[in-house]
Amino acid sequence: MSLPPASGTGRYFAKAAKSIRLIRQGCTNRPFFHISVTHRRRINSQPVIEQLGSYDPMPNINNEKLVALNLERIKYWLGNGAHISTPVAELLGLSGFLPIHPRSYMTAWRNRRTERENLAKLEAEKAKETAST
Amino acid sequence: MSLILRKLARNNPRNIVTDAQILVLSCRKLSIVPSLYDGEQDPAPKFFSPNVQVLLKRLTRPDFNKVFRKRTNHGLNILKTPTYKFLTNEELEEEIAKANEKADRLLQMPPIVKIQKHIDDVLSKDPALVGYDTAKYIFTDITFGVANEHRFIVERDPDGVLRSCDHDVRKRLNQVYFPLHGRRLREPVMFADPEKFNSLLEREQYEFVLDRACVQYEPDEPSYQRVTSITYQHLDSNSKYELLRSTRHFGPLVFYLTWHKSMDNLMLELLQTGAVREAALLVALRQDLQGDVVNSEVAQGLVQQILPTPIQLKKPDRLTEEDIQIDTKCVECIEKYIVSNSAMKSQQELALQGFRENYQQLIELSRGLQKAHGNA
Repeated sequence: MSLPPASGTGRYFAKAAKSIRLIRQGCTNRPFFHISVTHRRRINSQPVIEQLGSYDPMPNINNEKLVALNLERIKYWLGNGAHISTPVAELLGLSGFLPIHPRSYMTAWRNRRTERENLAKLEAEKAKETAST
Repeated sequence: MSLILRKLARNNPRNIVTDAQILVLSCRKLSIVPSLYDGEQDPAPKFFSPNVQVLLKRLTRPDFNKVFRKRTNHGLNILKTPTYKFLTNEELEEEIAKANEKADRLLQMPPIVKIQKHIDDVLSKDPALVGYDTAKYIFTDITFGVANEHRFIVERDPDGVLRSCDHDVRKRLNQVYFPLHGRRLREPVMFADPEKFNSLLEREQYEFVLDRACVQYEPDEPSYQRVTSITYQHLDSNSKYELLRSTRHFGPLVFYLTWHKSMDNLMLELLQTGAVREAALLVALRQDLQGDVVNSEVAQGLVQQILPTPIQLKKPDRLTEEDIQIDTKCVECIEKYIVSNSAMKSQQELALQGFRENYQQLIELSRGLQKAHGNA
C-alpha cells in the first residue's frame, strides 16, 4: 500500500481552526507519530491537511529518539493561526524552535523527584538491613 | 588462518606449532599506516587549481576502450545491439565531441579536501531539563530543497544541553531521511573488518574498493581518507598503476603520492614503460605541489609543449623531428630531477638508460625510413 502524499488528502476549509498535532501511525505496541496539521474539530483517524514531520518515541540502538520537522511549513501554518497541541509544543520547545514548554519542566522536575524518592527508599532499606544484622 | 593452524596443531601432535608462531602468523595483517590530509596545509586549493587538474587528467592517460567498457548489466534486462551509421566528417566530429564530454563526466575525479573538524557548538544549556528523558532527542529540519550539508540537525541531551550534531550523526540522519542510492546506514563489512578489506586488496580489487568508498563516505571524512590512503599505498607498493589508469581514481592517486613525496615508484614505472612525457608532467606536478624541483622553469615550459600533443596509449613506432625534440628535452629534465630529488636514483637511472638505448634505435629507424622515402 502506498503512503498518502505529505500534502495530505483531507478537505480544507480556509476559515476553520487548524491544529498541529501528533497522529498515531504505528501498530500495536509500536507507537509512531506523524506531526500533521488538521482541522481542530476533526478526529485523528480522518485524512489530514498536511504532514509536517514525524516523531519516533521508541529510542533506537544509539538511545536516540528521532524527530523530523518541516520548519518552513510549520512556520507557514503558525502564521495562518494554527493551534499547537501540547505534545507537539513540547517537541518544538526541546528543539529550540519555540521556548521550552512548561510541561517539559514539570515532567523533568517530577522525574527528578521520583528518582530522589527511590534513592531515599533504597538507602532506608540498606540501613534497616545493616541494623538487623 | 590462526584457527586452522591451531586445529592442525591439535590434530597432529608431531606437527609442533608453538603459540608464538601462531601469533606471528595471525598478526600478519596490513602494516600500512594511513596518512590523511590533516596537516597544516589544505590540499583543496592546489587540487582544484586548473593547471594541476590538467596535469592529473593527462596523467590518467584515458583509453576510451576502458573508459566506456561495459561494467555491469544491472538495470538493463535486454542488452542493446550496437548501431552502425554512415556519417559525414562533420557529423563524426560532433559524435567524437559528445564522446569526449561523456568521458570527461565519467573521469571526474573525487575531490581531495582537508579532513573535517568536529562540530562542537552548544546552542543552549538548560539544567532545569535534567531528568526529562534518559534518551537523546534528535531534531532534523526536513524543509524541502535544503542541501544535506546545510540542513539543521540538533540534539537535546539528557542533561538539557541543546547542541549541533557532529558529522557522523548528521550523516546517519541525512541517510535516514534523504537516502543516497548505494550508501549504507551502517559501515559495510568490507571497510569495517580489516581482514575482509585486506583480502580485497590482496585480490587487487582496487577500483571496486575506491568506487565503493566514494559512495559510502564523504571526501572529508577520516574513514574515507584512511581507506583510500591504505589502498593507494598497497597499490603503490605492488606497482599496479595500470589497474587504475583510465579511471577517475588515478588523478587522486597521483596527487596523494606527490603530496606525500612518495611518487618515485610511479616515476620508475613511467620510465620503464617509456612514457617520458608523462614523467616530465609528473616532475611539473611535483613542482606545483611541493615547489622543490631544481629546474622548475624548464618543467613548466615542457608542460606547455606536451599538452597539445595527442595522448600516447602505446609506444610510438615512427617519430617526427618535433617528437624527438620534445622527448630529448623531457629526458634532460628527468635526469636533473633524478640527480637532485629522487629517492630511487640508481633504479631510475638504469631505466632511463634503457629508454635512451631503445629510443636511439627508434630515431635511427625513423630517420632511415624518411631517407628511403626521399623526404629527408
